[in-house]
Amino acid sequence: MINIFMQNWQTILNGFWITILSSLIGLGGSLLLGTIFALMELAPNKILKFIGNAFVEFFRNIPLLVITLFFYVVVAKDFKISGFWAGTIGLILYTSAFVAECIRGGINSVDEGQMEGARANGLTYTQAMIHIVLPQGFKLAIPSLGNQFINLVKNSSILSFVAGFDLMYQANVISGANLDPFNTYIIVGIFYLIITGLLSTVMRQIEDRLGKGRLQ
Amino acid sequence: MSKAKLKRMGLFASVILVIILIGGVMLGINARERQNKETDALSQIKQTHVMRWGVKCDTRLFGLISPKTEQSEGFDVDIARAITKQIAKDNHTHIKSEFTPVTTNSKIQLLKNKQVDAVAASMTITPERAKIVDFSKPYFPAGQSILVKKNSGIKNIKDLNNSKSTVIGVMGTTALETTKKFAPKAHLIAMPDNSQAFSALESAQGQAMTTDNAILYGFTQQSNNVEVVGKPFTNQPYGLGVDKGQTQLNNAVNKALAEIIKDGTYNRLIKKWFSNIPGLDWRDLTK
Amino acid sequence: MSAIIKFQDVEKYYGDFHALHDINLKINAGETVVLIGPSGSGKSTLLRTINGLEDIQKGKLVVDGMDISSKDTNVNKLRTDVGMVFQHFNLYNNKTILENIMLAPQIVLKRPKDKNREIADELLAKVDLSNQGGKYPAQLSGGQKQRIAIARSLAMDPRVLLFDEPTSALDPEMVGSVLNVMRDIAMNSDMTTLVVTHEMDFAKAVADRVIFMADGKILEDSSTDEFFKRPKTERARQFLSQVEHH
Ligand SMILES: Nc1ncnc2c1ncn2[C@@H]1O[C@H](COP(=O)(O)OP(=O)(O)OP(=O)(O)O)[C@@H](O)[C@H]1O
Ligand SMILES: [Mg+2]
Repeated sequence: MINIFMQNWQTILNGFWITILSSLIGLGGSLLLGTIFALMELAPNKILKFIGNAFVEFFRNIPLLVITLFFYVVVAKDFKISGFWAGTIGLILYTSAFVAECIRGGINSVDEGQMEGARANGLTYTQAMIHIVLPQGFKLAIPSLGNQFINLVKNSSILSFVAGFDLMYQANVISGANLDPFNTYIIVGIFYLIITGLLSTVMRQIEDRLGKGRLQ
Repeated sequence: MSKAKLKRMGLFASVILVIILIGGVMLGINARERQNKETDALSQIKQTHVMRWGVKCDTRLFGLISPKTEQSEGFDVDIARAITKQIAKDNHTHIKSEFTPVTTNSKIQLLKNKQVDAVAASMTITPERAKIVDFSKPYFPAGQSILVKKNSGIKNIKDLNNSKSTVIGVMGTTALETTKKFAPKAHLIAMPDNSQAFSALESAQGQAMTTDNAILYGFTQQSNNVEVVGKPFTNQPYGLGVDKGQTQLNNAVNKALAEIIKDGTYNRLIKKWFSNIPGLDWRDLTK
Repeated sequence: MSAIIKFQDVEKYYGDFHALHDINLKINAGETVVLIGPSGSGKSTLLRTINGLEDIQKGKLVVDGMDISSKDTNVNKLRTDVGMVFQHFNLYNNKTILENIMLAPQIVLKRPKDKNREIADELLAKVDLSNQGGKYPAQLSGGQKQRIAIARSLAMDPRVLLFDEPTSALDPEMVGSVLNVMRDIAMNSDMTTLVVTHEMDFAKAVADRVIFMADGKILEDSSTDEFFKRPKTERARQFLSQVEHH
């Protein structure tokens, strides 16, 4: 096993970096998009609500591979789009549907009195959302968001299907050449564990920090 | 217990879990290897009257799932069937062929796992693979070519030797390694299987798709927009594969192969699958 | 005297449920009015229509010169003039006490920072919580929270202040401190206050008028003395004998 790493460390580290990069872009993108769509789902405006619901239902219910291949194969006919971006855009869209649900759940479990208090205090709906309800909703959503982000890291292996040069792709290439998939995939598995382990630790720390003194 | 202590215990437990996991997998591999040496595939085939073949399901002409029968159909499948029949005849018994779909990536693993007895899966004979698989004599004279969009101006592999070109291959095949020799400057990307590599070519993710000419000819039947250009630039015949050390079975396969070539079955199958492909004369393939 | 709040033939429905019947009511600027009645009689509903937390289906409701029943009225503007104190405080859990008080003046009124802080400190002193500004609501007792909620409303410098059972969720020993603050507001400011409460002693001491509601209707609207000495309706007599024998 050590041998495989020694012989291919450059390739593996390249893949490791691509996986981290795609995951980070995916995390940022899906958090932003997920929040926007969660807010649309909760909006008083019926049209916004419909668009939000439709987006979430659509991307939650089709396989990530289909979304990714759509960008890699169909969209690529008109716009030049690499495997990395096809996979990462797929990840963002797919994950943001789940992130939206987490955030919507978080916002829904914020006591209604918070919004009412803010509105009675003179804040507009948007101001109340930004300053009062969203921060509390986010905090409540953090544990489930953590799960989604770990799924995101693992799902980033979708890049391997569209030649995105990520960890999984490199594992496939290496095991295709050395014909020792077992040990190759174990090594790659350890690298995934490193990312997800770090991510869990960070998420738990955020949870701890926000938890201090701000409970109801 | 304090929260910090609990957390440290959690971390410790995960590390232990990882060690156990890796240990378990290694033990599993050892056990499998031991088991490998113990069973003789040929006698098992004779005992169960079933020979299990791994065949492709995504490769036109060789092994492609037919929507009607939901079974793989192609030259590989027919050869496998003929060989099984011949082995049965040689051993004065009856043996049924059973087919399991394999991918380029999984075919060797399935063989190692003893999920199949042999593979007929458009597999090129290479020294690397010969270390862990026993190959039969060549059964198909393949060579690597390139498939490009019509009117692309690309005439052969040399035209792709620049940093603006991307060549698409299939993961786990030798084609991309070979391409590095003929067009070292080109970018290479690997797709999970033939049909996805072809889709990638169609959506212009690369300028050429490379693999064995036989497979590329299959795609020219599927689409009018593509053509195979240039002569094959390698000689990489296909072999049937059995697990390393299954000498008995390999001998039986080789014997059967020689016999079906001799009695004309082989040429009949070549004609059946390759006689109406533009740009290819099936007589070049006969033995 | 001019009416700062004026209900004219107002009807309110929750779906099919008829919550307010034919409400006609005038409240003058600077008045302190107590609203009483049995549970479910529509007191909270009436109060919440005044700052637009509930809409009305029929009639006309004018508050501080703004017609709430009209679609063109900007409720956000209205709410800067009408404060509300809730039974369950509704303090911002993610903000400190000072931030609770200063947020709305800062982002809604655009009050300058220094001035905002100055007013917040004054208000904290007024509700007797001067050194608590850095804490979060979760770290305060119920009585302290309610006094902060009152300070938060006062920071907007409203013309009307609505109280919806501000002491009902408090332990008995906390009630006094909150009532003291309310009494101070009622007596020493020209704010118009509308209080829903079950504290009859408080009503007797500070109210100019008492409104008695039952089943979504206003049954009595009379001066404090008159209401407690000579209630006109049987419902009110019953209600008073019940709360006073508690
Ligand atoms: N959002 C709502 N949807 C439907 N019905 C409601 C809603 N809010 C209040 N009601 C109903 O309207 C009636 C009046 O309610 P309201 O809260 O105004 O009573 P209240 O006099 O404040 O009672 P309490 O003293 O218990 O607070 C009740 O029958 C109540 O069930
Ligand atoms: Mg009420």
